[in-house]
Amino acid sequence: MTPDQTNLLQGTLDMMILKSLALDQMHGLGISRRIEQLTKGTFQVKPGSLFPSLHRMEEEGWLVSSWGESENNRRAKFYRLTKAGRRQLDSETQRWGRISLAIARALEAS
Amino acid sequence: MPTLSRMKNFFRNIFAKRRNDGELDDEVHSYVDLLAEEKMRAGMNPEQARRAARIELGGVEQVKEQVREARAGAWLDTVIQDIRYGLRILRKSPGFTTVAVLILALGIGANTAIFSMINGLMLHTLPVRDPGRLVELLHHYPGEPEPGFNGFSWDAYQITRDNNRVFSDLIVGSMNFFTVRADKLQPQAVFGGNVGGTFFQALGLRAAAGRLIGPEDVHMGYHAPVAVVSWSFWKSRFDLDPGIVGKKIIVDDAPVTIIGVAQRGFYGLSEQAQQDIWLPISLGPSPSWGFALLGRLKPGVSIEQARAEMAVLFQRVVDAPDAGPFVRGMQLRIEPAGDGLSTPLRETLHTPLIVLMAMVALLLLLACANLAGLLLARAASRQHEMAVRVCLGARRGRLIRQTLTESWLLSMTGSALGISLAYFGTRGLIRIFASGREIAGLPVHFESLSNPDWRVLLFTGAIALAAAMLFGAVPATSAFRPIPAQALQQAARIGESKSQRLFGKSLVVSQVALSVVLLTSALLFVGYLSHLRSLNPGFRRDHLLLVTLDTAHSGYNAAQFARQSEQLVARLEAIPGVKSAALSTMSPMQGPGASAFAFAEGHSDYQHNVSINDVAPHYFETYDTPLLAGRYFSADDQGKPLVAIMNQVAARDCFGNENPIGKHLTLSHITLTKGEITYEVVGVVGDAKYNDIQQPAPPTVYGDFVQEEFVGSQLAVRTSIAPDAVAGVVRETESAVLKTVPIVRIMTMNEQIDASIVPERLAATLSAWFGALGALLAAIGLYGLLAYTVTQRTHEIGVRMALGATRRDVMRMVLRDALWTVSAGFALGTPLAFWAKSAIASLIRDLPAKSPVSVVFGGAVMIALCLVAAYIPAHRAMRLDPMIALRHE
Repeated sequence: MTPDQTNLLQGTLDMMILKSLALDQMHGLGISRRIEQLTKGTFQVKPGSLFPSLHRMEEEGWLVSSWGESENNRRAKFYRLTKAGRRQLDSETQRWGRISLAIARALEAS
Repeated sequence: MPTLSRMKNFFRNIFAKRRNDGELDDEVHSYVDLLAEEKMRAGMNPEQARRAARIELGGVEQVKEQVREARAGAWLDTVIQDIRYGLRILRKSPGFTTVAVLILALGIGANTAIFSMINGLMLHTLPVRDPGRLVELLHHYPGEPEPGFNGFSWDAYQITRDNNRVFSDLIVGSMNFFTVRADKLQPQAVFGGNVGGTFFQALGLRAAAGRLIGPEDVHMGYHAPVAVVSWSFWKSRFDLDPGIVGKKIIVDDAPVTIIGVAQRGFYGLSEQAQQDIWLPISLGPSPSWGFALLGRLKPGVSIEQARAEMAVLFQRVVDAPDAGPFVRGMQLRIEPAGDGLSTPLRETLHTPLIVLMAMVALLLLLACANLAGLLLARAASRQHEMAVRVCLGARRGRLIRQTLTESWLLSMTGSALGISLAYFGTRGLIRIFASGREIAGLPVHFESLSNPDWRVLLFTGAIALAAAMLFGAVPATSAFRPIPAQALQQAARIGESKSQRLFGKSLVVSQVALSVVLLTSALLFVGYLSHLRSLNPGFRRDHLLLVTLDTAHSGYNAAQFARQSEQLVARLEAIPGVKSAALSTMSPMQGPGASAFAFAEGHSDYQHNVSINDVAPHYFETYDTPLLAGRYFSADDQGKPLVAIMNQVAARDCFGNENPIGKHLTLSHITLTKGEITYEVVGVVGDAKYNDIQQPAPPTVYGDFVQEEFVGSQLAVRTSIAPDAVAGVVRETESAVLKTVPIVRIMTMNEQIDASIVPERLAATLSAWFGALGALLAAIGLYGLLAYTVTQRTHEIGVRMALGATRRDVMRMVLRDALWTVSAGFALGTPLAFWAKSAIASLIRDLPAKSPVSVVFGGAVMIALCLVAAYIPAHRAMRLDPMIALRHE
């Protein structure tokens, strides 16, 4: 069993973060807000889970970070997808598609 | 994820921790700023916005902690944190830490020292190819003590080599001392051997330089004499000079060329006797029965098959027409030899070392119980701290890990100190060894004793860890206990639970029991040693000075030497304080000497194994050995038929109840190739011990060394004052009279006897130390327990005194407590001590194990020591002022 399957929520959060960074680089608060927006408010990402996730994925080599300026000229740390991160997003998306399909079928079956 | 980047992260997280943390801090704070700004845009004032942002974040430190836990190497981080915290805690109570580390260092150091001796003497295998297939050949007579003797004739070697089908190689060698000199190398005695042509090749040894001895070198013999030296000889004498190959040296007055250096770490076939030089077997002395044989079993051949076949084959050696009379009845044994040839050293040290190992294991157990007691008291005083940490959210598992880390830190520090203690301890042990005589002519291989190798370090690490587990379990389990709310109140006195108090007592009880066992064993050994020292060896052992001479290069023939020595004895006897002096070829207790087979006149079908000593007139007077019948040697014997004097055992062995005076005795020499010689018996003297003070005196036949044209190298001087006082004058006189005969050493007879009982002295000295240490630890343990109890009960004692208890009552109360504890320990320890005594007695012959004296004495010492230890806290309890004690909270 891979860790991804046992910890679905963790994997889901990772996937959402990767997805939110798919278009452009973003700082922590921006990622939170983007995920809220993408899920129409279903997911509210707290800093206590956001930051550990970001740092872990950076260590995995899916993200890189750099200090920059926010839209209001404040110092902030920005995260951006790497090639490996993009690959990871693709495979996560496929996997998620398979799982959600399987679960949907299982629930439909009587 | 690629392993490389994982490792990079791991190291960055550990080593760039501060920078990482600073950056994380910046990041979280910038998040709060951005969030606050967002809220201000939504209409909050700056203060409200910051507050709301902080609440939403949920604590900067908590977020940072969560990130740190997600990072690679987070576990190591907590370990380091635990270690740091542990170090801080230990530093905060330096008294406790010092005592604990010292106790552990002594316990672990003693174990390491004994184990490194066992390791050096017994656990090594030979550094040769496939040592497991090596076996050694031993000859013995039926009914003789095991294991036999690895010495064979050249004929026996040839018959075995040419006819066996079980050995792929038969390795032959002999052990000898050589006098080696070279330019820039003083003449010195070097232990080594003569080896057969296949010796090095069959053992699979490589040359560290040059080449090793091969069949062609044996074939060439004196036409091209060669030698191979050991690596340590190369290093110590030639400083690893690569020019050693081809160098000419003088071995036993003959020039020899060094052709190579043996593989590093190879010191010959015995792990206990270091050999440094090897010559082809065709060079040097050719002892008639002095060739050691070692076989390498063919693949698929078991040792039983080899025994079966060789037993038949060896019968041909025994039945050979020209075999000497002493070969009659000889049998062959075959034993595994992967750890080297069996030597008397290993046999004699094996049992004492095993016993000592058991003692130090007990000592360590005792030290652990002692420490557990200390930690128990500490855990009670740290309940408040633990309670606070639990309330702040520490998980129980984390607390247990923390306390275990502290124990582990103590144990590691203790063992680091212990290893250095063991190093010095081993030096001391080697000094005891070095004071001993060469055991069976073999110098002890000190190098393997003094260097702790990986096995010793592994052993020490393992016992340190085991010790940490043992004594660390106590505070760790106390972290399991539910923490009462009152533990949080700073001032509250936290009482011990009944089970805790009982546990603390039982720790002391077990320490007392263990130290009774240790003391009993120690007293057994010490008593045995003093018994050995008081034994009557058959001569007067005090006031006797022994001088060993090196007569090998004197240039005198026997007649000249006899004249010179007569003059020497006359001048020595003129020294004030000297009563008499005499020369002999052997001195008593010097070690095993020559032996022969004796055939008595009228009983010539029986052969008797006897020891031989050739002595000068006045020998028996000098040693104070009584004459029982006949006469001593006299000057009138010169030029007449050979005469001999027998000791009582030899006379009874050879002649039964007949009067041996005037009868004839024929000796067939084994070690001295003199053939058969017949003597007339002129006297019978009392028995005297020669080799082993613990054994009955051997049957001995004395010859007159002047008559036999021997040169005596052992000079005995009987004094009326302390023998050391005349040593200087004796030395001067000797070098004035015998100018070409240097003195090898001067020692008293008591020192020589001490040198013959090294294992017994070792056991007595060490066990005395261990016993004393154990008793001291137990006393300290009891003191600690009582002192702690008195402090805990201060309030109670105040109440008792206020209610009318006298000071004597209080003191009696504390002492009664102590006495109960000690008595329980004694009751538990006594059967254990008796059991240990009989176990030791079954291992070591004629130990006075029957008598209960040592147990009683050990118990008495323990009780006395404990009462002293108990007196201090009892006295303090007695002196308490009830008013102050009542207010004590």
